[in-house]
Amino acid sequence: MRGVGRGTGQIVDAVEEALSPEEARRVIRRTFRMLRPYRGRVALAAALLVVQTVAVLAGPAFLRYGIDHGIARRDLGAIDRAGLAFLITVLVGFVVSRAVIRTVARVGESFLRDLRGRVFRHLTTLSLDFYDREKAGVVVSRMTSDIDALQELVQQGLVLFVVNGLLFVGAVVVLMAMSPVLALITLAAVPPVVLVSRWFRRESNQAYLDLRDRIGDTLSSLQEGLSGVRVVQAFAQERGQISRFRSASDAQYAAHLHTISLQARFFPAIEFAGVAASVVVLVAGGLMVRSDAVTVGTVAAFVLYLNNLFEPINQLSQLFSTVQAAAAALHKLYGLLDERPVVAERPGAYDLAPGGDLTVDGVTFGYGGAPVLHDVSVEVRSGERVALVGPTGAGKSTLAKLMARLYDPDAGAVRFGTTALPDATLASLRERIVVVPQEGFLFNGTIRDNVAVGRPDASDAEIVAALERLGLADRFQSLPEGLETEVRERGSRLSAGERQLVSLARAALADPAVLVLDEATSNLDPGTELAVEAAMAELMRGRTVVVIAHRLSTARRADRVVVVDEGRVVEEGTHAELMARQGSYAALYASWSQEPGAATADP
Amino acid sequence: MLGRGYVTFRSARGSGWRLMGEALSPYRSVVILGSLFAATWTAAKVAVPSIVRVIIDRGIVPGDSGALALGAAVLIGAGVAQAVSTGLRRYLAFKVSLRVEADLRARLFAHVQRLHFGFHDRTQTGELMSRANTDLQQIQFFLVFIPITLANLLTVASVAVVLLLTNVRLALLALAALPFLNLGAAWFSRQLHPVVLALQERLAGVASVVEETVAGIRVVKGFGAEGLQQRQLDAAAEAVYRESMAAARLRAAFLPFLDLLPTLGLVAIVWLGGHEVLAGRLSVGELVQFNAYVLMLIWPLRMVGMLVAQTARSAASAARVAEILETEPAVTDPSDPLALPDGGGPSGQERGMGAVRFEAVAFSYGSGGAAVLDGFDLDVAPGEAVALVGPTGCGKTTVARLLPRFYDVTGGRVLLDGVDVRRLALADLRRAVGLVFEDTFLFSDTVAANIAFAHPGAARETIQRAAELAGAAEFIEELPNGYDTQLGERGFSLSGGQRQRLAIARAILADPRVLILDDATSSVDPTKEHEIRGALAEVMAGRTTIVIAHRPATIALADHVVLLDHGRVVDVGTHAELVARSARYREVLAEAERRDEAERSLAAADEDRVGAGS
Ligand SMILES: Nc1ncnc2c1ncn2[C@@H]1O[C@H](COP(=O)(O)OP(=O)(O)OP(=O)(O)O)[C@@H](O)[C@H]1O
Ligand SMILES: Nc1ncnc2c1ncn2[C@@H]1O[C@H](COP(=O)(O)OP(=O)(O)OP(=O)(O)O)[C@@H](O)[C@H]1O
Ligand SMILES: [Mg+2]
Ligand SMILES: [Mg+2]
Repeated sequence: MRGVGRGTGQIVDAVEEALSPEEARRVIRRTFRMLRPYRGRVALAAALLVVQTVAVLAGPAFLRYGIDHGIARRDLGAIDRAGLAFLITVLVGFVVSRAVIRTVARVGESFLRDLRGRVFRHLTTLSLDFYDREKAGVVVSRMTSDIDALQELVQQGLVLFVVNGLLFVGAVVVLMAMSPVLALITLAAVPPVVLVSRWFRRESNQAYLDLRDRIGDTLSSLQEGLSGVRVVQAFAQERGQISRFRSASDAQYAAHLHTISLQARFFPAIEFAGVAASVVVLVAGGLMVRSDAVTVGTVAAFVLYLNNLFEPINQLSQLFSTVQAAAAALHKLYGLLDERPVVAERPGAYDLAPGGDLTVDGVTFGYGGAPVLHDVSVEVRSGERVALVGPTGAGKSTLAKLMARLYDPDAGAVRFGTTALPDATLASLRERIVVVPQEGFLFNGTIRDNVAVGRPDASDAEIVAALERLGLADRFQSLPEGLETEVRERGSRLSAGERQLVSLARAALADPAVLVLDEATSNLDPGTELAVEAAMAELMRGRTVVVIAHRLSTARRADRVVVVDEGRVVEEGTHAELMARQGSYAALYASWSQEPGAATADP
Repeated sequence: MLGRGYVTFRSARGSGWRLMGEALSPYRSVVILGSLFAATWTAAKVAVPSIVRVIIDRGIVPGDSGALALGAAVLIGAGVAQAVSTGLRRYLAFKVSLRVEADLRARLFAHVQRLHFGFHDRTQTGELMSRANTDLQQIQFFLVFIPITLANLLTVASVAVVLLLTNVRLALLALAALPFLNLGAAWFSRQLHPVVLALQERLAGVASVVEETVAGIRVVKGFGAEGLQQRQLDAAAEAVYRESMAAARLRAAFLPFLDLLPTLGLVAIVWLGGHEVLAGRLSVGELVQFNAYVLMLIWPLRMVGMLVAQTARSAASAARVAEILETEPAVTDPSDPLALPDGGGPSGQERGMGAVRFEAVAFSYGSGGAAVLDGFDLDVAPGEAVALVGPTGCGKTTVARLLPRFYDVTGGRVLLDGVDVRRLALADLRRAVGLVFEDTFLFSDTVAANIAFAHPGAARETIQRAAELAGAAEFIEELPNGYDTQLGERGFSLSGGQRQRLAIARAILADPRVLILDDATSSVDPTKEHEIRGALAEVMAGRTTIVIAHRPATIALADHVVLLDHGRVVDVGTHAELVARSARYREVLAEAERRDEAERSLAAADEDRVGAGS
């Protein structure tokens, strides 16, 4: 089954079944660390909350004063004093609560904003192996749904905690003052509450983690259904896709409902504990009244006041549940943040020299499984134009990706000049060596934006100049909106060949020391290809270019040809040399240049 | 582009509400049941203090153990009722709201799956993901509030009645402010709506940047464009922050009033009530009771405030979802579809079916767009193979898209076996036409499932046969789990040529009447292509085929070649004829260069051989 029920990949699998208490503590410690920059504001918010809560609690005190000093003594002045003081307190509370809302929102929203930025920054540092195994939908769910899941905690958590904590402490103090004995009896409610909470934590940990996974599955299924919608419609398979999505979505529903059914048992149990404690106090109190240990008045007041103790407990139990839900999301996010990029800068990395030979030295590499490249050595001299050719699946694209250090070799090394790529800073590496991958990609935005990906700081004039030198300026400027044409989702506004032309312009603008073009012209008609290649060669004169192409006309125009087969370099030399050798290149070239007609007659 | 501007605020709220009402209506009875439990909970909670009072008065004060025990039992009963009803209320409220969310999610997906290509060309995947996730969640948040809100409104109403019955003057004083609340809520909701709509849009913006970055990660890495993407994300996150803060400022302006109004009532009671008591118009007990009742208003009113805030956001979200659901598919089944003429077998080869005819077809993407095709005519006899050749961007793919009705023509018509494609059921039409797209898309599923995409139940032999014909069998067998190997997302764990061959196998297995190969071997090496060509000849035998290609050898598979330029047919003939007579054709295929090169390289090779020999 696609999407549903299957493990969602490494991040998810790496996570242990439930959060152990230490793990949970670690999550909390880390969160506090992340909150550190906001501690000033958090303290301010907490102080404001205290003022606000005190203002609310002061109400009954004024009532009492009014009754005791005003009504009982028939003193109108006292009533007015109480009324005025109450009014002022209420107005202060009103003003403060506005500040509370704003301060709490500012803390919470800046935390979420910074978290978004931080997780994303980390995502962009992760190397391709991560993206090979992780689904786009799951990554999107981390950045959206999981971060959203923290919203409730950051928006309500502090408020609930401070207010109810205060109320709780206040209630305990009052109850202790009223009757220490009855207060101790009330403690009978503590063990069940603790037990139930522990049960809830254990169960809900798993349930909330499960929910996060299911949301990831749904979003993956959705993402794939959307990116593949054209294929689905072309083969009239809408129904199958829809039922597949529905089962992912239903699994998410079931997981979510499960978390609710846990809450629907937990919250009532806590509420009931409150009532049960009242019963215990009443019965014990009743017995104690008989032995004159306490007065009836005390019991009555005590029981009525117990409510003030259990209301904050109810609220805090909601907070507890919110914390559990957020912890699951945080756990997933930290799992992502803990993912180390395999392709990373070494400590002490330095900038690459502006030029040099690109050397692939005895490289062996596999994508986790069997090696795809075996002891490959290629030397591309500075300023040289080398073509990589060979059968499909031979490992050309893999070699291209290693040349730009999108992956690191398992054995051997790739060097630029005298520097092994892992010793270079990634920024300088990406500036010197650019690879146009076989899987081209245009971003939603204008043609200009897409060309500028190669060099975001380029001016309009530079962009137009790059297009002009490739002979493409007229083609794109003649569109109704010219370079401002929106290419739309994945570049769907353009034809396949036009998309490749934009990618080429992007590469030309980037103007790196080494340019690796992986079948960057495969969708162009040969006429356009010829023109663009010539322009590109002109533009890249003096730069090192590695081209991968199945159209051997491209290989023929290169200074040197390297033939890759089954992960090995099998031949190397100029076109003419290889033709003379009558080896695999010559055979490849023969099938390429066959005259039509001869093709069908041949076998 | 979807979103701002398209959703006008008034219509947005209307459509949002309609959608929520409609989605909720099947579950009306559960909502009512949930509200009953909410009311029970409120009643039990309110009853507890009274029961306690009775226990004290009848049990503890007279020292009556029997009454004490009875009272305790009643109190436990009330506690149980309270616990059970709160649990059930919560469960039912969430069950309904989550169910509605899941229903809407499935509906949204189903709808989007059926929307025309033009919609998907325009709409960002991340945007749709956000609507199917964040926006639906906002709707759920609102729905879950309903039962508790009903119970709260009940509380407010009954408290108001009790107060009025106790002392009209004081009650009016305490409640005087309530009508203003209504006005305040209306103002708040009006102000909040555009802000939260913008907030939902900004959240979708974040999702879009993330989705696009992940989908295009190979380009992002290849060009070192991480910084660029990071700046976009930071801008998107900053926009979310701004709108959230705007919403918070509105909340700060409104919500404190909800606490202020009842507490002002309390002040009035203490102050004026005190005067009343002294004047002998009110008893102290009544004063205290009044106080207690007004206190009971605080929490429900606060809930009302949260509800108003949530409602504004949910209505905005619902409108965003409704916007998609209300987008009509531009390409739909005709009301009375015609059947395709029976061709014997599914591919129609037995009776010589598969005639394709384009008659004076005009087409442009989107109204007002430049014409891509204009007066395009094409006639392909059953079983014939035609090659479409033309420069980049001339409209070849567009032609291929019109036959299976991915888009509808703007003028003229397209016929399959004599029937206008707009008169056929879409499923029939698309089963009759098999396509290999120029950009390959594979699903993250097994190799076998990808090949058998058109017929998920296909036998293993059929799958293997299709793979063989597409020249894919060899590499598939070398994969770790052969046909059961799981592919990575989009099939990116395969090489470009491997992916393309799976796509060819997928189309072959569909066994269509008309096969369209859109630049289907562009990533395949010449030797392999040569091999595939041999097999394709077998697939193409007796089957109508349209080949879009740039390589002479592939073009040669076709019976004749149609040269397309600027959306028109400029010449038709065999490859040799066109090479001989059409300068444009030679230019498009770079024929001169090719010949030139072939000669030169042969000469060079000869020289080399001579050189090596001497
Ligand atoms: N991300 C990946 N994960 C696992 N295996 C991969 C991955 N990418 C490529 N492969 C495998 O590695 C081998 C070499 O692939 P590569 O893309 O380098 O071939 P190629 O020479 O570029 O072929 P083509 O001409 O078809 O593009 C293939 O067998 C392919 O299936
Ligand atoms: N979805 C679209 N919306 C708007 N315009 C489009 C769309 N798809 C293609 N076009 C435009 O229509 C024209 C024809 O595109 P089409 O894809 O048919 O070209 P093509 O002949 O297949 O080119 P190529 O050889 O590059 O694939 C191009 O100018 C292109 O910019
Ligand atoms: Mg490749
Ligand atoms: Mg095309």
